[in-house]
Amino acid sequence: MDFDFTEDQVMLRGLVREFLTEQAPVAHVRAMMDDERGYDPDIYRRFVQLGMLPFPEEYGGAGLGMVEQAIILEEMGRIPYPGPYFATVILAGSAIMASGDEQAMARYLPDVCNGDLTMTLAFLEDSIGWGPGEIALAAKKDGDAYVLNGIKRFVPFGHTADVILVAARTGSSGAKGISLIAVPRDAAGLRIDKDVISDLTEKSATLHFDKVRAPAENLLGAEGGAWPALETMLQHAAVGASAEMLGASRKSLEMSTDYAKVRKQFGQFIGQFQAVKHKLSEMLVAVENAHAATYYAAWALDADAPDAALAASVAKSFVNGASRKVCGEAIQVHGGIGFTWEYDLHLYFKRAKYFEPMYGDLEEHRERVLQEVLAGHISG
Amino acid sequence: MDLNYTAEDKAFRQQVRRWLEENIPKKRPETLDERRAWHRKLYEAGYLGMGWPKEYGGQEARPMEQAIVGEELARANAPVSLNGLGIGIVAPTLIHHGTEHQKRNHVSKILTAEELWCQLYSEPNSGSDLASLQCRADVDGDEFVINGQKIWTSGAVIADWGILLARTDRSAPKHQGISCLMLDMHQPGVEVRPLKQISGSSEFCEVFFTNVRVNADNLIGEMNAGWRIAQTTLSYERGGNVLSRVVRLQEMYDRMIAVCKALKRNGKPAIEDPNVRQKLGEIYAEIEVLRYSALRLLSRLEKGQRPGPEASISKLHYSELDKHVQELFLDILGPYGLQTGGLPPEYALHADSDFGEAGSWAYSFFWSRAGTIYAGSSEIQKNILGERVLGLPKEVREDRIALAQKAAAGD
Repeated sequence: MDFDFTEDQVMLRGLVREFLTEQAPVAHVRAMMDDERGYDPDIYRRFVQLGMLPFPEEYGGAGLGMVEQAIILEEMGRIPYPGPYFATVILAGSAIMASGDEQAMARYLPDVCNGDLTMTLAFLEDSIGWGPGEIALAAKKDGDAYVLNGIKRFVPFGHTADVILVAARTGSSGAKGISLIAVPRDAAGLRIDKDVISDLTEKSATLHFDKVRAPAENLLGAEGGAWPALETMLQHAAVGASAEMLGASRKSLEMSTDYAKVRKQFGQFIGQFQAVKHKLSEMLVAVENAHAATYYAAWALDADAPDAALAASVAKSFVNGASRKVCGEAIQVHGGIGFTWEYDLHLYFKRAKYFEPMYGDLEEHRERVLQEVLAGHISG
Repeated sequence: MDLNYTAEDKAFRQQVRRWLEENIPKKRPETLDERRAWHRKLYEAGYLGMGWPKEYGGQEARPMEQAIVGEELARANAPVSLNGLGIGIVAPTLIHHGTEHQKRNHVSKILTAEELWCQLYSEPNSGSDLASLQCRADVDGDEFVINGQKIWTSGAVIADWGILLARTDRSAPKHQGISCLMLDMHQPGVEVRPLKQISGSSEFCEVFFTNVRVNADNLIGEMNAGWRIAQTTLSYERGGNVLSRVVRLQEMYDRMIAVCKALKRNGKPAIEDPNVRQKLGEIYAEIEVLRYSALRLLSRLEKGQRPGPEASISKLHYSELDKHVQELFLDILGPYGLQTGGLPPEYALHADSDFGEAGSWAYSFFWSRAGTIYAGSSEIQKNILGERVLGLPKEVREDRIALAQKAAAGD
């Protein structure tokens, strides 16, 4: 039993922090907020080439586990790093791995590992849940191609990803008729509208599919058999989102603590007042618990533990609540300055907020926790 | 990071589980003799004072083994050991700070429940501000003479000995004039009055001292060093045993699931009600996070790291969480949650009526209110975390101002 990070994991965190603080300082983050693409491909490529990817070594990956990816994402949450790492690695990458489709792995992963290819996964539509019943975008077989018609919303970096994995309906309703089909961004009939959302460091897009033809070999795994892979992807995304929110929360706590040590009112440092001190202590407890929840879940996914799905939902539901509290109270501790655009605190508040509804909100994950418990999928 | 239990840990757990199956008394111990007999049995099995040095009757067991025993006791719903304060607080204090004579005379008797102990710290006017305590121990030859009052003393009615904080220097700053003493509770001048609690039961007492004489060799540690000793004592109270609390909550949760299948709300089993399901999902998630945090703490203890002020994170977390979870349980049960007796067996916390009132959901709910008050209230924990973990400046307090003025005046 060891809940601490290994030496390698500690080194990894150090490396990520050093790279991101040097290459993506806040001035860069702010520049990317106004940038059409929303990230710097050169920084992304160099970061990936440091060996920051899961995926087997035969495809050029570093074989990182979810614990290591959570460390990377926590560090990204504290920047907050603008770029398609989450979309490419956590969404598309874990879906490709979980599909078991070795042809797809050989086709995409080497370029992903070079940093030459970015990807994303299109899931949400007009109805905003995360269950199999929400997938309605139709993909009909026509000769040697699939023809896609429908809409995909809030696709992370959907406006820049080279390849989009589309969760589409190829058969009956429910979990059984869902397939994953890869569509290049420049496919004919695909219209991409950038979304206007509050976290300007997390770009997303709405994708309109109008008779988009994708060759049949772009299907991942078996037709109609994609739901289990999507479920696995959603578990990784829930834990990855928790890690990002944890990073944003810890950064917000640090900024608030530092501020409370220097800001004076009524002739005292505001951190001397119990009203502020107690708030910060509650934020500390929330952050430490969010840490335990995130990394337990990451470990459970790596270990294929019987409670891995449960732990992912525990983490997402808990960290949603914790980061809402911590990043929100950070603004309260700062007062007026925390409400300004110029001060950086809102960057973390918005990063955490961005992930709250994504990959299952608090209520959805609480329901899932209960389902897992009733099914007996608990720790051994 | 590796959160698997080792084969050795798993085997030890099986061994403890088997022992409990064979040894838990069929009838719950009630009288002092019955409770002492159960305590003795736990001691003989090596499940009490497990972490202590062997020379004082301990096993020098790893924190993991102690945690496993705690979990399995909770899982088996085993009766609690009789001398909780003695084992949890007094003996570790003596082992750390006591004289060789004190250790030899008391530690093994605490372990066997030959001596039952209570903790005489709080006073009517000194709760969170414990260091303001007024109970005095005046030196008279080679004796202390004790006068004053203590309150919220758990188990004083049955205690043979007490560990006492008393003022031994009235001119010193408040933290520096306190000493830690032990005293025989069965001597003239000691008067114990039970207090009835919010739960209806009476574990609490008031204790009055009138010219109680104690030999000087009952001083623990140095004269006027009592505050520092009390700090270490309180950290034992704050750090320990989170996993057994987790198991106790999990046991309650499993029972609640069964109750929700029987209990109807709006004409349907409660387990199908979306509002109830949200609460059940929330409760389980909260308990799991407490378990994860406890494992994190345990893995540090296993490496020999002792929690300092960080122990307050754990104390604050589990006590506030318990309050929240017990409230949610009562929400789900509606008026049944308020029944302290006569619950239909299919809705009761323990279907087995052997538990009496202590087996009701309401009783657990009331007890959850104690956790955020004892061993340093939540507000005190937040001060500790703010000042000693986050490094925030200390608050302005009247007593600190007075102390600073006194120092400036050259007193």
